Amino acid sequence: MKRHSWMRKQQWAGYAFILPNMVGILLFFIIPALFSFGLMFTNYQFANPNVSFTGLDNLKRMFQDDQFYRAIQHTAIFLLSVPVSLVLAFLVALVLNRSVYLKGLLRGMFFLPYISSGVAVAFVWMLLFQPSHGPINEALRWIGIASPPGWFADSDTAMYAIDIVQVWFMLGYNMIIYLAALQEVSAEQMEAATIDGAGKGTITWKIVWPLVSPTTFLLLVTGLIMTMKSFAIIQAITQGGPSGSTTILSLYVYKTAFSYYEMGYASTVSWFLFAVILVITIVQWIGQKRWVHY
Amino acid sequence: MRKSKWWMASMSVVLTAGLLAGCGGNGDAKEGGASSPSGSSESSGNSGSSGSKTKLTLWGAVPAEAGPQAVIDAWNSENPDIEVEYLRYVNDDGGNLKLDTALMTGQDADLFISYSLTRLQKRVDAGVALDLSAKTDYDIDAQMGPDAALWKIDGKYYGMPTKKNMSFIWLNKQMLDDAGLPIPPLDWTWDDLKAYAAKLKKDNVYGLLQHDSSYTATLDGTIAGLGDTNAEGKSNFNNELWKSHLQTLHDMMFVDKSTPEYGEQLTSKMPVDTMFLKGEAAMLSAGEFIFRNANNLAEFPHDFQIAFATVPRVTADQKDFKYPGGLGDALSVNAKSKNQDAAWKFAKWYADGGMLPMASGGRLPSSKSVSSDEAIKLLLQGVENMYDVDSLNKVVFGSFESFQLSIPQQVIDARKEEYEKYFLNKQDLDTTLANMAKRHEEFIK
Amino acid sequence: MNPTAGLSKSRLLVTVLMLVAGAFMIVPFLWMISTSFQSASEVFSRWLPSKLDWSNHKRIWTGNYNFVPYYMNSLKVSLISTAGAVFLSAFAAYGFARVEFKGRNALFLVYLSMMMIPPQVIFVPKFIMFNWMNIYNTHWALILPGMFSIFGVFMLRQFFMGVPREITESAFLDGAGHFKIFFRLILPLAKPALATFAIIDFSWHWNDYENALVFLTSPKLYTIPLGLQNFILENNVDYNGMMAASSAAIVPMIAIFLLGQKYIIQGIASSAVKG
Repeated sequence: MKRHSWMRKQQWAGYAFILPNMVGILLFFIIPALFSFGLMFTNYQFANPNVSFTGLDNLKRMFQDDQFYRAIQHTAIFLLSVPVSLVLAFLVALVLNRSVYLKGLLRGMFFLPYISSGVAVAFVWMLLFQPSHGPINEALRWIGIASPPGWFADSDTAMYAIDIVQVWFMLGYNMIIYLAALQEVSAEQMEAATIDGAGKGTITWKIVWPLVSPTTFLLLVTGLIMTMKSFAIIQAITQGGPSGSTTILSLYVYKTAFSYYEMGYASTVSWFLFAVILVITIVQWIGQKRWVHY
Repeated sequence: MRKSKWWMASMSVVLTAGLLAGCGGNGDAKEGGASSPSGSSESSGNSGSSGSKTKLTLWGAVPAEAGPQAVIDAWNSENPDIEVEYLRYVNDDGGNLKLDTALMTGQDADLFISYSLTRLQKRVDAGVALDLSAKTDYDIDAQMGPDAALWKIDGKYYGMPTKKNMSFIWLNKQMLDDAGLPIPPLDWTWDDLKAYAAKLKKDNVYGLLQHDSSYTATLDGTIAGLGDTNAEGKSNFNNELWKSHLQTLHDMMFVDKSTPEYGEQLTSKMPVDTMFLKGEAAMLSAGEFIFRNANNLAEFPHDFQIAFATVPRVTADQKDFKYPGGLGDALSVNAKSKNQDAAWKFAKWYADGGMLPMASGGRLPSSKSVSSDEAIKLLLQGVENMYDVDSLNKVVFGSFESFQLSIPQQVIDARKEEYEKYFLNKQDLDTTLANMAKRHEEFIK
Repeated sequence: MNPTAGLSKSRLLVTVLMLVAGAFMIVPFLWMISTSFQSASEVFSRWLPSKLDWSNHKRIWTGNYNFVPYYMNSLKVSLISTAGAVFLSAFAAYGFARVEFKGRNALFLVYLSMMMIPPQVIFVPKFIMFNWMNIYNTHWALILPGMFSIFGVFMLRQFFMGVPREITESAFLDGAGHFKIFFRLILPLAKPALATFAIIDFSWHWNDYENALVFLTSPKLYTIPLGLQNFILENNVDYNGMMAASSAAIVPMIAIFLLGQKYIIQGIASSAVKG
């Protein structure tokens, strides 16, 4: 990164630009977060005013909690959807940026899942994945697979089926952000490469992909964070089942807090989740120097 | 050129937004104002005497148009000094979260209905449910009968159980007649039901469907009789009766194929009530809430009579089987409400007949001050001939020894995970029972 | 890539392929529309309604289910939140992208880390704070926090960093201050990014169920996601009504998407400056 001395001038302006936003972040994020950090060391039951300090009991309990470890495994599988969706979205954005007719219509179609009713999404996927007579398994049987997977009805496959839905769901969202990024890639850069005799694949991976790397970095970092936090799709389709096989960490926190009312313990698990995401993010932050080109 | 157009567009968005904020802003101000000053000006109690209007908010989970709206409309026209507003919450984790947060403020929630003992317990722990046994002008035990005591927490009433809970097997009498099967006796068992289901199933017709809310009725009724734990404090979950019952269900799914396989039911979100009313199942295990659709012949047309049977026990010689039912809809007064006296006045009125408009949806009042004939008339108005009267009287309006589920949610969820593994053929029956007991013990430890 | 050229065969083929893939993306949307025209006993038993039943669409605008106020509330909350979030995020993003001040990276990491906190565990402190600020059970409880988007700051920072420094540097040397550069140079250049963020942020506010659930208790203030809860009955769900309401709810999002799309496509012209 080349140093630009002018950017270091008028440092006060930097603070001035950030200040209005900072006030809100402090009020609506940092202060509540500190409060929840404190709950970690208590036995706070949701809505119950009687709170007592329990030190590290919650942490001890967490490390002995089988369900906690199980939820970590499920979360890891859930996160696989992030890179898959990113690469697919990049390719779709590339195609929809230039090489098709009906661009507007197609972009709309691919974005539609992201704004569709969650209930409708859940039902359609349940119908598609229906084990005995759903279209997906009918097709699998037709191509000769005698006993296709049970998808949501089987605790061994449910989490992967959720991954498929998540990839499908996030595709449009990632795509439109990539589309915006592609607008910064100028036609001249592409043409220069073409004149140099580069093939389509080379242009894509050697020129365009590095040019959108700041966006990839953004989508990777925020994608991992948001995927770890979200469970709306799981709640709509499997509610964490069958037999707990799709209970990811964030859903476990939700149940612990509001179904079991154990807010103190839920805070502890949340802060563990926080620590994990923070480490992953810092690693990515440091690692970006290798592949993100601003 | 383009630049200015862009700014025009964004300005117009901001302006529209501002305008909307302006209109809505007034509403907000009124809202905020209504909640704080009026709350303090109406000093607690002596409702009605001051002449100023008291406003109460009642939280319940029944959709307003299914009765509650009619209830509070009646109250508001009779009681001009106390205005009640009904606020509907959905009885799931999210909805209860909403209610619990509102209860903490004590401003917009004066009365609330809890639908399970475990939720009520949490509210008692949080100090937001008023002790109603301290009231001298209403004797809950005398009014609601012996089943009410199951709702006591630490020997006190924090909610009045206002309605009769019911859960039973709905029978398609036409199909029973066609198969030459009589209406089963009250003391039938799961083996009997299994035989019935096997005879009743046909192509595209299940012998038995179970609604989610009734799926564990037999497990719960059995453990209520046995007790959660034995004399040594060990879990009772590893019992022979559960084993036999789970085995029966498993056989019905995989051997007889008279009830849907568990995975099938999970993943197709079977609308079991609609299927039963369309004649796609001969028997349905569900609660009284089915009456609402069953009575609605316009949207759910059917021409068969419906008969009733009890939820079967596991074995004929099973002692202490408790029937799902008893009382429900526990109405509480918020201990943080500033209008507790007015709220209590409403609560008594509601329990002693005010709630009658909800009877048509299956909610029969538990208070003895309400004539049960009147409630039943409301329930069956115009559809009397769609039901088998004899079994209706014996089962629906019969009285059975009942229970209130007091197993903590964590344990219920753990139990469900384990029996799901068995029904999905991931785990054998003995392991399933052993794991249920193990996880139960881990929790109570 | 000349748009005036005639139909290209390969381009046509790609278009058809993408249309097939696209059809797969819109199945739930079609199912929603179809279900909204079915009668109560038809749900789940068929893909297409036996006859067009308009009653579901009629009843969501009248009587118990009247969606007009929910719609207005949602528009108000979402538009103000989005407008605020776009502006405030762009402002902060410029600070992070174009001014090198002390502690910039550390502060940015603090920002990012706040994105990682699961919302469930900060509901209670937020509730206490809103109650104290007197905005519990008002739209401000959604709008004020909604105007601060960490994602927005991050996203726009990434895009602003992609604007060639030479452009802003020469302006700076010509005597323009940071504010002038931000308003005159960066904002117009970042139109595609701003429009994209606005689309996404709007969809988040429009669909925000959890905050509305906890912080609004007066039905008069309810937004659409809360209105949809009316269709969850006690022991079953009125899917027909819910899908009719959902069909109506998706319209503004599609409108915002189409509006935003214009600016994304327009951006192509402006990117020439990058050269």
